Amino acid sequence: MTPEERQAFEEELYTFVGRPLHPEPKRSYDAVNEAMIRHWAEVMGDKNPAYTNAEWAASSRRGELIAPPAMMYAWNQEGYAVAAEGRPSDGLSDLVAYFDQHGFTGSLGTNVDQEFFAEAKIGDALFEDAIIEEISEQKVTARGRGYFLQTLAKFTNQSGELIGTQRFRVFKFIPPEAPPKAAASGASEELEVPTRIHAPRGQDNGWWWDACDEGKVLIQRCKNCQTLRHPPRPMCGECQSTDWDSVQSTLDGEIFSFVEMHYPKFPGYKYPLIVAVISLAEGTRIISNVVGIDSQDVKIGMKVKGKVEQVDEKTMLPQFYPVEA
Amino acid sequence: MSICDKTAIVGIANTEFSKNSGRSELQLAAEATRDALADAGLKPSDVDGMTTFTMDNTDEIELARAVGIGDLRFYSRVPHGGGAATGLIHQAVMAVASGMAECIVCYRSLNGRSGHRYSSGVSGPLLTADAIHWGWYTPYGLMTPASWVAMYSQRYMHLTEQCQEAMFEIAHVQREYAAKNPAALFYEQPFTLDDYENAKRIVSPLKLLDCCLESDGGSAVIITTAERAKDLKHKPVAIKGVGQAAAANMESMTSFYRPEIAAIPSMDIAAREAYQQSGLTPDDIDAAVIYDAFTPIVLWQLESWGFCESYKAPQFVLDGALRSDGRLPTNTHGGQLSEAYIHGVNGIVEAAKLVRGSSVNQPAKHIENVLVTSGVGVPTGGALLGSL
Amino acid sequence: MDYQTLKYADVSVGDKLAALDIDISSSLISCGALATRDFEPCHHVPKVAQDMGLPDVFMNILTSQALMARFVTDWSGPEAVMKALKVKLGAPNVPGMVMTVTGEVSEKDDDNRVVTVNVTGENNIWGMHMEGSVSVQLL
Repeated sequence: MTPEERQAFEEELYTFVGRPLHPEPKRSYDAVNEAMIRHWAEVMGDKNPAYTNAEWAASSRRGELIAPPAMMYAWNQEGYAVAAEGRPSDGLSDLVAYFDQHGFTGSLGTNVDQEFFAEAKIGDALFEDAIIEEISEQKVTARGRGYFLQTLAKFTNQSGELIGTQRFRVFKFIPPEAPPKAAASGASEELEVPTRIHAPRGQDNGWWWDACDEGKVLIQRCKNCQTLRHPPRPMCGECQSTDWDSVQSTLDGEIFSFVEMHYPKFPGYKYPLIVAVISLAEGTRIISNVVGIDSQDVKIGMKVKGKVEQVDEKTMLPQFYPVEA
Repeated sequence: MSICDKTAIVGIANTEFSKNSGRSELQLAAEATRDALADAGLKPSDVDGMTTFTMDNTDEIELARAVGIGDLRFYSRVPHGGGAATGLIHQAVMAVASGMAECIVCYRSLNGRSGHRYSSGVSGPLLTADAIHWGWYTPYGLMTPASWVAMYSQRYMHLTEQCQEAMFEIAHVQREYAAKNPAALFYEQPFTLDDYENAKRIVSPLKLLDCCLESDGGSAVIITTAERAKDLKHKPVAIKGVGQAAAANMESMTSFYRPEIAAIPSMDIAAREAYQQSGLTPDDIDAAVIYDAFTPIVLWQLESWGFCESYKAPQFVLDGALRSDGRLPTNTHGGQLSEAYIHGVNGIVEAAKLVRGSSVNQPAKHIENVLVTSGVGVPTGGALLGSL
Repeated sequence: MDYQTLKYADVSVGDKLAALDIDISSSLISCGALATRDFEPCHHVPKVAQDMGLPDVFMNILTSQALMARFVTDWSGPEAVMKALKVKLGAPNVPGMVMTVTGEVSEKDDDNRVVTVNVTGENNIWGMHMEGSVSVQLL
């Protein structure tokens, strides 16, 4: 889009703000009813007797059944026509089409905020009165470049009593590239459970990780001057020898420093997640996790003992536990 | 031969700072370069050299062609992220003082918010030899800039008193400066102690307001000979000394294997070098722009540059030293915590303004010499700027 | 069956709700969509979801809302009156995942006897699926 095109696009875009979705409040196809509530409650695993147990409800403070508040939006949904014929046009679909025509074809619901002012009862008809409330300035998110649009829907019953409101926020964006085609056969693939991010294994470090896979933490030792070194490197900085072997660490250690990771969280890692610099009894240091302790109890100088454990399906790592005093 | 007073910064510019520049990094670099040349009163054809970061995505020759710069006879890049900032000056000074080039653009531009965000860490696909290095840390989850700095910070807190209070003071003083700087992303947005304490935890002991911004923008400075500088538009900003260093037993961000990690020996060396070249001492330095990706790293650098004893920086800061009327007004633009994060090069622009006397928050006292530093945890450096 | 509803005075900010693991199956996704009258094909036709770049059908928003609401009313008891349900959406829920829902009381409004519970639902593959809050008026 050239700067002129963008200006023209936005000028028209913001005229959508305030437009209603429907020419007049849209009435739910069915009145609030026990059958649809039961269907919903079964699927959601919701055993709340306020929704489905008429006998209990009669003796409750309310004296009757109510519809689950979270169903508020469901009553006015279009239904099977959406699958059979596509979504019928309304004020929102006009806006979506306008976005789509200009390349903002990506669509992502980001927030739904509902507020409830009264409980819907069996027999209530719900009327949905909705507008396009807001369109943001252009934003860039991890998904791409686009605009947030927000609709505001008000739900009232047949006597005009306000049941609740819903604000729905959608990000309309230019998808960075065509989405990858998953599972062309149509059959669902096994989902891959994420694991920790591994070190690539090269000539200078692969042997260390191979030993770790077998449950051992090794420390590289210069064969010439016996100096220990970690992380491994191909030459001894003391005597420049390239001959080396290794010793196995007892994993007796002491916490030299530590952090607790909060944000961002990475898939494949278990939180709370404490990472520490640990001084090993052999004299070298290692970075590892401290586990089996509340984060607020971790202290510099604390004695720890490590063992190599399988931390996920694919990863063996040393993990350090506090040593009982 | 010392390089002191052989070269000068004669042109400076930033683009606007934002969360979404809406244009390419090349364009940001070109705008900053064009504006820095205009600030100096130079033409694109005067430029014959360029320096930038290895991390910068804009090619020297693309930038030269975009701006209409002609023949280049010097170009050089400095590695290690923000550790490169004053390295651009280091390279330029060597080239100009030795006659290898006469007029050099030092530039950096990034869409650090709308494009790749550094806070996402090194968890993505790693394609470089770096991967083996990060591989000692990623399996345990230590993989963001905040996490590496937090590790040093915890140790420093253990060895000092009132570190947490000093971290707040740094964040707060800089936000006060930014609140008065119309170019800053946090212009007119001060915060309170409550805001600071209740902010999201990032990596303990660091919370959100201990961490710098991620932003879009470009910065450029022009360096030429002292002689030529005298005939240009603004008061020349002489380069008195500039050091660059990687101390022994260094890893990029993860030098956890030194006897003590609550210090930055690389900056000690850079400081020694710069003081030696310039003949200046800490007492001669009137203001500073200290690299501030995270609040604690300001403390360690104050020690490296000799403004206070080791492990005494928290008290130095809590005495009000960084404030406008303090011993060492610091990060008067708001810093990377509160103005914008342009990898320290917006800091060089601010340091030059302090020498010129044109900072938006220019302290009342006379400013003769100003320190500006690069990012730490990585190989780093710093430069001493002053009047010619 | 005897149903209990929490008393406002018995709840404190910081109280944690017992975590709930929900197996995300194709049935839950498709039937949840239909139970909320959401007939968008991406919630019941795998091919349509795959053309959108996902491995399989994915959970519709109304089901996520329902699960978050249920998580809190299971804790509060049936006489509690829901006042607000705010959901921020993250990574999709697709079949084969397990979503762990956790919650903590974050706010108390004495004048209205309303408590707000912050809730997160994280799946074991892609992480955060939903985070938000449910406010309920207690006895």
